[in-house]
Amino acid sequence: MIYLVAAYAAAVVILGGYLAWSLRSLRDLSKRGVEPTKFVG
Amino acid sequence: MTKTYERLTAVAVLLMLLAAGMIFLYAPEDYLQKEPQRIFYLHVSAAIAAFACFLAVLVGSVIYLRTENARADRLARAAALVGVVLTTVTLVMGMLYAKPIWGTFWTWDARLTSTLVLWIIYAGYLLLRRLAEPGPQVARYAAVAGIFGFVDVPIVYFSVTWWRTVHPGPVIVSNALPPEMLITFLVTMACTLFLAAVMVGIRYRIETLLDEAPSGAEATIRGTQREPELAR
Repeated sequence: MIYLVAAYAAAVVILGGYLAWSLRSLRDLSKRGVEPTKFVG
Repeated sequence: MTKTYERLTAVAVLLMLLAAGMIFLYAPEDYLQKEPQRIFYLHVSAAIAAFACFLAVLVGSVIYLRTENARADRLARAAALVGVVLTTVTLVMGMLYAKPIWGTFWTWDARLTSTLVLWIIYAGYLLLRRLAEPGPQVARYAAVAGIFGFVDVPIVYFSVTWWRTVHPGPVIVSNALPPEMLITFLVTMACTLFLAAVMVGIRYRIETLLDEAPSGAEATIRGTQREPELAR
């Protein structure tokens, strides 16, 4: 039972972590994309 | 556009919860392997979704080499990252499946080794993309790597028939699953493929935004250039 729980917990962490990081990156880039001059400095 | 991806992610998460419900509540317990057998559903689905991602890398790479189309290169980049994430899930779940069944987390079996090689090939592909200066030359090298890297996918798939391995052979095509298990597996696979498609879509959008950003900013966002250099 412990291996079953550990396997699905690992999958949730990897896939969930990746999805959360992707959505955060996308949100940040979309916001920055509105003001491109902010980067040029 | 971001909202659309957030909604698609929500749908993908709901579908994965549905799959989890079927895995834990609907599918019967395996007579021999007991509870750990339930790892099989997502372990195999993640592997198939990873293969689909690497196929997208192959297609994107071939199109890029023929046409130098930036969209094809972006597709390859996006699919490679998602493929590596899914292969990581496959390997980790596989190790946690192996321990109670084989008594060890890892053995240098043909299926396990070829899958690890697959992970290393595409992790190397991503490393090449990250460390090299972005441009047409690195995109061409990466496309060649993306094409040759795919050679390992059929090796992984057929490893259980080409060599004597401890890993089980294909149970789906050999019709070895009872109907409830087969339905659960097919639902999980469909949900995982949808999740993979959403993940590739999000990454593709990120790559598009990075490509469209001013060159210095793009390098900073990717982490390949330090801030002071941007001011030059």
